[in-house]
Amino acid sequence: MSLFVQSLILGILLGGLYALLASGLTLYFGVMRVVQIAHSAFLILAAYLAWFFATSTGLDALLSLVITVPLFFVVGVGLQRLLITRLKPATLTMMSVLLTFAIALIIEGMLGFVFTGVQRRIHFSYGSASVPLFGAEVPVVKLVAFALAVLALGGLWLILKRTEFGQALRATIQNKEAAQLIGINTDRVASYGFGLGLATAAVGGTALAMDATIYPSLHWHWIGPLMAIIVVGGLGSVPGAAIAAMVLGVAQSLLQIPLGTTWAQTVFYVALFVTLMVRPQGFFGGRLAQRF
Amino acid sequence: MRNASETLELERALTGARWLTAARVIALLALAAVLVVFPQTTKVGYLLSTGVVILNYAVTATGWNFMGGFTGYISLGHAAYFGLGAYGTGILVVKAGLSPFLALALAALIVAVIAVPIGIAALRVRGASFVIVTIAFVLILLLMFQSMGSITGGSGGLSLPRPFPDLIRTDHHRTFYYIYLGLLAVMLLAWWAIDRSRFGMGLKAVREDEDKARSLGVPTTGAKLVAFILSAFFTGLGGGLYALWFGDLDPVFQFSIMMGAYMVLMSLLGGVRSLFGPLLGALVVGIAIEFFKAQYGDTQFHLVATGLLLAVVVLFMPEGVIPAVKGLFARFGPQASSIREISAADLAAERDAEEASKP
Repeated sequence: MSLFVQSLILGILLGGLYALLASGLTLYFGVMRVVQIAHSAFLILAAYLAWFFATSTGLDALLSLVITVPLFFVVGVGLQRLLITRLKPATLTMMSVLLTFAIALIIEGMLGFVFTGVQRRIHFSYGSASVPLFGAEVPVVKLVAFALAVLALGGLWLILKRTEFGQALRATIQNKEAAQLIGINTDRVASYGFGLGLATAAVGGTALAMDATIYPSLHWHWIGPLMAIIVVGGLGSVPGAAIAAMVLGVAQSLLQIPLGTTWAQTVFYVALFVTLMVRPQGFFGGRLAQRF
Repeated sequence: MRNASETLELERALTGARWLTAARVIALLALAAVLVVFPQTTKVGYLLSTGVVILNYAVTATGWNFMGGFTGYISLGHAAYFGLGAYGTGILVVKAGLSPFLALALAALIVAVIAVPIGIAALRVRGASFVIVTIAFVLILLLMFQSMGSITGGSGGLSLPRPFPDLIRTDHHRTFYYIYLGLLAVMLLAWWAIDRSRFGMGLKAVREDEDKARSLGVPTTGAKLVAFILSAFFTGLGGGLYALWFGDLDPVFQFSIMMGAYMVLMSLLGGVRSLFGPLLGALVVGIAIEFFKAQYGDTQFHLVATGLLLAVVVLFMPEGVIPAVKGLFARFGPQASSIREISAADLAAERDAEEASKP
């Protein structure tokens, strides 16, 4: 029984992390109709930067967020302005996949080049500590990562709902032409939206690295589950992605008991194929999805 | 009635078109001659095996283009069919004891059968979602083939006996070179036949505007599925042949996203709309990849190089090298039309010239 509770709690924590990681993907798709394959490569990049920061300064790796979040925001705006807008509108979605795939390869290659392929791990002073929670032992790092995810997603929600920029961003997502008609500079909004998505990758990558060994090709391991989450949730829907992330995270964690870690991974792909068979536009929102 | 200058222009266009056709035929024959003669000119095993590797790239890229080129659906996961073909052949030879080439044919058929449900699921969505599904399919197969160690050998790999045990190394490479060349020729012929057929016309209508094609009565779903299966079948054949030639399989290499990326890169670079585009792309990119691996094999530099090349192709010549070069020549060559707006007569002349240039 306690094994079940433990898995359930770990599954919820994992789901929160997945929701954070997938939210960025949904943002790109919402504002730009761009599928960002390089998102998980940026996660790994953020994780490496956190590791590098921690090993070279001796400070807590979480402090690296002060640098990586603004940095990733600027990189995101730059990527959108310099590269994505060059693609032709008619083939934007398809070509964006290839372009960001190329970016992912470049990041992976550079990481291997600079940091070598050796597996790295960030050390925290509280790395081996765990706290009892409803009769289960939960590692502190997982709780911190979850807290980070909640903070980031809460911040994202506040930006989207409470700020003028968030309003403009939501208007751009819902109807670009109408947003332009009322005087929103949709190009600028789109680039900031892209930057925001990449900023979530900075937080997500650091949260991810708290509890995982990192290596340059790790991003391939993440791209499948994240893509499955946004397809199941309905491309472009932030709440859909969050719900799908939570459901699939818990499912994966629970299935690990009878199936083992490798086969539990396949739950994402099964969910992906079932979604396409039953409801290609995804289970939440996402009336746009089928066309793209 | 055409006036004198228009007739002159038309004649000039026709002569130009004839020259172009002749030049094309000569270039094609030269390429074919080089490809056929190449293995006779060397006894160096490394060069011969590189030749086989390049042909393997050409076969997979051309196989990819049955789907990507005709329908415009970009699959980043065709390595799945390559790997299934390779492992299917390997398992049938090692575990079932079939003769190598029977196993190859059977494995390719099995791949085609597996492609049916995958195609039905994947083709329900378009564009980006389709790409996501194809990537997911490779990743799930990689997981499965690594886990099922008792059948696939897991991460330890699967070793095949050589199909021609009496041949020395260089002759082994040379034999497979010609088998690959034969397969490539058959595939190019099939692509060419589809390109000129009514079926191919329907597929190209899907590429241009799927909704319109459908409203005009093109059976888009069926056509896409047939193209998908055909593409998987040929890619599976390539994979099976690779298994017989190389003799050693590992899930990480057979079900690699990079393999699928190479197919896309080669096809896009050469041009997905032309028959020889993927072959051209495979010659350029394949030689570059092998060079990079030989020079910087220990570093991850080949990933960066591939990424940069892909980004450049996507940003600056998404139609491929062949149309890009043609456009460049057109810019520096004599202009097709003067400053005045193009007239109906000009258009008719252009059409006639195009008709005449078709073989």
